[in-house]
Amino acid sequence: MTSVVAQAVVNGLLIGGIYALVSIGVTLIFGVVKIVNFAQGEFVMIGMYISWWLASHCGLDPVASLVVSMPALFVAGVLLQRFLIRRVLGLGDMPQIFLTFALSLLLMNLALLLFTANYRTVQTSYTLSAIHIGPLYIGVAKLIAFALAMLLSGALAVFLRATDLGKAMRASAQKREVAMLMGVNPDHVFGVAMGLALALAGAAGSLIVPFYPVYPGVGQVFVLMAFVAVVLGTLGNVTGALIAGLMMGLAESLGIQFVGADSGLIVVFAMLLLTLAVKPSGLFGGRVR
Amino acid sequence: MKRGVRPPRPLGYAAAALVLILLPRVVSNAFAIDIFVRVFLFAFIGVAWNLLGGYAKQLSLGHAAYFGLGAYTSTILLIRFGVSPWIGIMAGAVVAMLASLPIGTLCFRLRGPYFAIATIGTAQALMLLFLKFRNFAWGAEGITIPYHGNAPLMMQFDAKAGYYYIALTMLAIGLAITYWVERSWMGYYLVAVGEDQDAAEAVGVNVPRIKRDIYLISAFLTGLAGTFYVQYIYFIDPNTAFNFNVSVEAALVSIVGGVGTLWGPVVGTVLLEPTSALAQSWLGGAHGGVQLTLYAVILIVVIMWRPTGLLGVLTGAYERIVRAAPSGVPATATAEPKGAPLDG
Repeated sequence: MTSVVAQAVVNGLLIGGIYALVSIGVTLIFGVVKIVNFAQGEFVMIGMYISWWLASHCGLDPVASLVVSMPALFVAGVLLQRFLIRRVLGLGDMPQIFLTFALSLLLMNLALLLFTANYRTVQTSYTLSAIHIGPLYIGVAKLIAFALAMLLSGALAVFLRATDLGKAMRASAQKREVAMLMGVNPDHVFGVAMGLALALAGAAGSLIVPFYPVYPGVGQVFVLMAFVAVVLGTLGNVTGALIAGLMMGLAESLGIQFVGADSGLIVVFAMLLLTLAVKPSGLFGGRVR
Repeated sequence: MKRGVRPPRPLGYAAAALVLILLPRVVSNAFAIDIFVRVFLFAFIGVAWNLLGGYAKQLSLGHAAYFGLGAYTSTILLIRFGVSPWIGIMAGAVVAMLASLPIGTLCFRLRGPYFAIATIGTAQALMLLFLKFRNFAWGAEGITIPYHGNAPLMMQFDAKAGYYYIALTMLAIGLAITYWVERSWMGYYLVAVGEDQDAAEAVGVNVPRIKRDIYLISAFLTGLAGTFYVQYIYFIDPNTAFNFNVSVEAALVSIVGGVGTLWGPVVGTVLLEPTSALAQSWLGGAHGGVQLTLYAVILIVVIMWRPTGLLGVLTGAYERIVRAAPSGVPATATAEPKGAPLDG
């Protein structure tokens, strides 16, 4: 029994690392640009398709294809901010929600038109290999994904604390007007924030390709997890999103283990409703907004 | 506040109503009538969404929850207990309405985008629950509505005209309710909440109560639509009843037409629904995703170009033609919603 629980915990934490990466992107955009990106999951999907394409056409390892997917999505994020998001800032909730929501619909259905609804998988030399620690069984691909996810999250945290651009980003997240008075160029900062958030989503996509099927609607799984994690971890809080992302993975895995194979999402939604009922400002928030 | 609609001219409305009432007598093409039924139905769902999302600016993306609850309530009553869908449709709407109380209590704790996400979550959770209720609600397999031929008492008709009149009546009721709400104190309170919740609260609007009340009405109407749809397509499963597309279309038709206006959802549906039906019949079912790709593009264009919706464009063009007055300000120059500060 304990080994079953331990195994579920390990699996949950490993996939939770990926949820954390997606959640950090959502919370970064929310914190800095003050919009909710409903299309974040679709950028995970795009990252997955990039890695799948490179693996099946060029034989490139999905982890190595990070060097393609991350820069590609960074550029996509900067362009998205420049040509679409920038124009709806300050127009209220409706255009902001439905612009990114429409983008999500568009990308998902374009993927459906281009690649059909078929599930695609990538087999790597390490897809099926695993490390055994006592009774535990740890998939190598998942372990690599988790380790790199944590590394990237750490790199983002260092960037936000140690570099001028990162500090400018945190400053405009806290008080946009004051940051602008101090000479921070909002367009520049917003563009980089969008770029980084999308690059993280792309990285998440590339990292899970070795053990997760690619299909047009796959982003929905991740975006729902990320939204719940971002509410749970307090909106705009990067560390909160990281911890809550790991918790979501854990909750899903334990839900599958103890409630039933189709109940992972029910547990996740239950967590969302519980958070809303008990502490709508999230684990790390003081004030209810 | 100014509204995009001109004062009603009874004669024009009576003529339009007469044309719509006589139409099934003239048009016998089932495909054409089917498009009309779908236009009425989705315009009706849009009208229900618009009360909450358009006037109070509570942008729900989970109206499929009430559509599905309405559909399942009447179907369970029909198949388990032999209750006529005419009673079922009211029971379903009441169940949907009651469900909006706890759902609203939870979701209204969040604002703006996070309200939208929470509503998606509740609709998805309900779908998952109905997938699990295998003994009670047939699980993933769903069930076919038993066919009785022409049985008006069981809301079944051998010609599509019967469904046409029900859908038309529902839409008329939805529009009448919106018209009444728009002109009552409630309409003004809703618009105040939509503009700025904190300011509305500060001037004494009971914000939680007004949001709860309009959510009750909106859920009730959406529940009616659910029962009607199941009776129309003779089939129910969790994926049909709680389909995310229902939530999307409810919001989409209102935004494309014009949120917070009486006729916005109708204009939006009239523009969107036949377009998508034609696109599908041209391109065929082979290309999955055509309809939603089209919707997404239209939505992006409308938001970037005219976020107040196309109703304003149409009435503006109409006024320019009629009056041709150079100084004429378009009647629809409604104030842009100003962004609430989102610090914290």
